[in-house]
Amino acid sequence: MIPNAPEIGKLLFIICFWICAIFLPVWLVSWAVGVLLPMLLEQGSPSMAMTATAETLRALTPIISVMVFIPINAMFMVLYERRALALFTVRLGPNRVGPDGLLQTAADAVKLLFKEDITPRGADAFMFTLAPIIFFAPSIFGALPLLAAITNNHSLYQITNLPTGIFYILAAASLPVVALVMAGWSSNNKYSLVGGLRAAAQAISYEIPLVLSLVTVCLMAGSLDVVKIAQQQDGGILNWNIAGGGALRGLDKAIQTKLGVETTPLITPQQSSDPTETPVAAPTTFEEVIHQYYPFEFLSYISAGVLIFCSFILLGLYLTGACAEINRIPFDLPEAESELVSGYNTEYSGIKFAIFFLAEFTNLFIVSSIATVMFLGGGDNPIPQWLLNKMPLEPIQKSLGAILSPFINGLHLIDPDTFWAAFWVIFKVYTFVFIAILIRGTLPRFRIDQLMDFGWKRLVPLSLIAFLVVVFARVLVVCHG
Amino acid sequence: MGSNLIGRAFESFKRIGEGLRTVLMHSFREPITKTYPDTVSQIAPHFRGRLALSVNPDTGEHLCISCRQCERVCPDKCIEITAHKSPETNKLELIDFKIDHGLCMFCGLCTEVCPTTCIINTNDFEMADYTRESLVYDLRRLTLTQEESAFYFEAKDMPKPKPKPPKPAPGAAPAAGAAPAGAKAAPVGAKAAPAEGAKPAAAAADAAKPAESAKPAAAPAEAAKPAAAPLEATKPAEDAKPAEAAAKPQDSSTEPAKTVGDTTAKPEEKPTASPEVKEAEKEKAPEQGADADKKEG
Repeated sequence: MIPNAPEIGKLLFIICFWICAIFLPVWLVSWAVGVLLPMLLEQGSPSMAMTATAETLRALTPIISVMVFIPINAMFMVLYERRALALFTVRLGPNRVGPDGLLQTAADAVKLLFKEDITPRGADAFMFTLAPIIFFAPSIFGALPLLAAITNNHSLYQITNLPTGIFYILAAASLPVVALVMAGWSSNNKYSLVGGLRAAAQAISYEIPLVLSLVTVCLMAGSLDVVKIAQQQDGGILNWNIAGGGALRGLDKAIQTKLGVETTPLITPQQSSDPTETPVAAPTTFEEVIHQYYPFEFLSYISAGVLIFCSFILLGLYLTGACAEINRIPFDLPEAESELVSGYNTEYSGIKFAIFFLAEFTNLFIVSSIATVMFLGGGDNPIPQWLLNKMPLEPIQKSLGAILSPFINGLHLIDPDTFWAAFWVIFKVYTFVFIAILIRGTLPRFRIDQLMDFGWKRLVPLSLIAFLVVVFARVLVVCHG
Repeated sequence: MGSNLIGRAFESFKRIGEGLRTVLMHSFREPITKTYPDTVSQIAPHFRGRLALSVNPDTGEHLCISCRQCERVCPDKCIEITAHKSPETNKLELIDFKIDHGLCMFCGLCTEVCPTTCIINTNDFEMADYTRESLVYDLRRLTLTQEESAFYFEAKDMPKPKPKPPKPAPGAAPAAGAAPAGAKAAPVGAKAAPAEGAKPAAAAADAAKPAESAKPAAAPAEAAKPAAAPLEATKPAEDAKPAEAAAKPQDSSTEPAKTVGDTTAKPEEKPTASPEVKEAEKEKAPEQGADADKKEG
């Protein structure tokens, strides 16, 4: 029996409660703006003005849903982080405001909004005000292309999809550094200035491995379009980019054909997923498919293994670079509390500080969702298709469909594809957030010279090597791209 | 060099993984945080909390002999003792005992020098108050009840004090002795009077009564506890039966034992009916906390 079961249970309850509190409003608002209002407008006389308004509303849906999402999400993530860190450090965490501290961060947010907004003497007031805005804005407009990818290309969010999606996201993600330097410079405070300069140095160093790792993924996928990258990875964990960028797709397909050929499913999925055993069991079709995807036999198998290894390295590189990019522990040098009295945001208070805080946690969410889309298949179900077919899900699906059909067909409240995609995205993203919190609870802060050494002498060469290896290895295997 | 680098990289990954696992495993431990107002953790018996004056747990007589050792040794000079030499018994009698807990640094030196283990550090640490003046505790607030004294004598493993020897002169001594203690002794003496019947002490109490009622400010409850001290000093002397006074009140049906029982029962009853309820509860708090902890353990 786990002695800490009640605390873990409370954390799970908080997570469930807050995820409902985040996504129900987002869902309902986007439905109301994107579906209900245009439907009502177009119901009567289909005049030109009405149609135009309806189209405008539809176009505004993504940005409205993001604006609803960001503040509530930041509130949840702060609470999530505090409670999870409390678990790791054998404490209780916030547990006074609301049941089990459920409303702690909501209270904090209200407090911050009502605090006095102080501009220090000698500060450049204009820049001082502009910095949090520039810090926050990219996290909104940078997140937009991801919306199409994580909602399984829902028709309302299609307009946010760009052919160069990941390129745009990375461009937006590198903007906040400017704001940090601005904040540090305009505060008229030495600590803030050092924090801002550190942020600049760190972001420049760590952006290279970050971008190179994502570029390598794009290379495997053969596209910059996040929606396309997400859709390529459909069909279970073997198709995800984490499994070698489609290097195991042949295996997945082979198993699928084999199970399709065999009318009586005598072989259990566990046995058939073992590659060493299956060729003996199913001679012809399986091997043909394998040969089709791995044309160079042994060489192809090796390169598939190399690709898988590389993609794990890429994920590690990406997470490291992302941690540095959003200034999280162990890379929180710009806001090192013990050295720089919280660095660039020392002089900020009230709502400006709240915006810094909000953007920081939103960035964490966005970074995690990029990782989800690029490595973990976006909104894809981790269970492979051939295994899913064997599961007795049919009656459940039918009964669910019968219950929900008025919502799906009449009101268009639920889009089944988007619903499940969103579910898996939420699950995966908050798992990444959990990993970030775990790392925060474990690792101490880097020294500035260690940070630079690690960035330039380790991560940059490693990402270049991984890039080169992937370039050659993917020729030998039929990948996504 | 190259292989060394790769080896070191794997080594560091292993270390980081170990660290992450350790931290993750910590989340299955029970939190060490105590939600303080709800659960009070067990305090060691020798915890140096609020200072207090104990009474003899068996007889209820005040243990302070006004030797002023604690006053002398106190580095902060936060103890102030008012005593006078009784003209009859030629011994020091305690009039007031003040400790400024705002000055006190809880070094415990006073408890070490005390020859009768009268002044002790209690387990009470909840002394927050609204004014500095209310941190100055007088004799009434400092004196513990018999039960509390018994608890601390047991918890701190201190030897039980011997009962004071009987006073040699029964006659007029108690009456005159009560008079200087005056305002404090009077109300309890007055209450005790009916129970005692036609004892000499009744006369003494009556004699003191007018003087007391002339003082408007002195509330009856105020004098509850300290009054026990001078009274007990006088009571056993009346009948000159020290052995029974030392015995438990319930055991003996003799006269002095009864009076002792009366006087010690009163300090408990009185505060509940008086505006000083708060203090009474406060003083009970450490015991309750300790009980709760026992249950928890």
